[in-house]
Amino acid sequence: MPWSPKRLPLAFLLALALAPAAAGAAEAFVRITAPAEGAKLDSMDLAKLAYEVVPGPKGDHVHVYVDGKEVGILRRLKGSYTLETLTPGQRTLCVKVVNKGHVPIGVEQCVKVTVE
Amino acid sequence: MLPENLAYALTQVLHNFGAVGVMGGAAFALLVPVAAPERVARLVAAGWVLQIASGAAFGGVGFYYYGRLPDLHAIAAGALAVKLVCAAGGLALTLALAARGPVWAATRRQEAWWAVTTLAAAALAAAAFLRWFA
Repeated sequence: MPWSPKRLPLAFLLALALAPAAAGAAEAFVRITAPAEGAKLDSMDLAKLAYEVVPGPKGDHVHVYVDGKEVGILRRLKGSYTLETLTPGQRTLCVKVVNKGHVPIGVEQCVKVTVE
Repeated sequence: MLPENLAYALTQVLHNFGAVGVMGGAAFALLVPVAAPERVARLVAAGWVLQIASGAAFGGVGFYYYGRLPDLHAIAAGALAVKLVCAAGGLALTLALAARGPVWAATRRQEAWWAVTTLAAAALAAAAFLRWFA
């Protein structure tokens, strides 16, 4: 088949599609290392959420949620996030891996804490 | 490479060309006297349609693969609302320019193109906040 410059975009897309997904092949997980499940937090303190993430081949970055509401975007795979002052009561803190389009891919961990 | 990434990339290509159409076309109509501005208005209207369709497709790709729409931070949700308002206003104005522009007074046409250019610029600015605050 003779080469034509018109085929260049098609060849580019084909090369991209066939490129091995070597990076990020490890299995995805989220680990919240602090606070622990059931921990009691002081409402007067700024609570720190420590985490470790492997986004896997489908994940890109992570979102932080308090009671289901997104409060932060984390692009580091390991670190901590300072939560805004939490109101007293039982709170659910979650870290979810999301894809490039900010859609949760189903890899997440949540902890329930009590804020006093 | 994941087919999902290819779908996002192709959607982004359409979205980028839509952005060029609305911003470039509106600025061109504003700054350069053209013989048939209604044709430029049709081009810009097509750009807005492309922006709206590809914007919806971003959500559609995620929904297709994961059965849910993107999670957006409040700032990003605000930016998305700005984009939607700009797109609706920009499309309505350019359709009006395409249909009625030739019979409008020159000053009214000029004001309409100013408004379309402003809406396009605001939509582009909001896009950056949507991208990085989501």
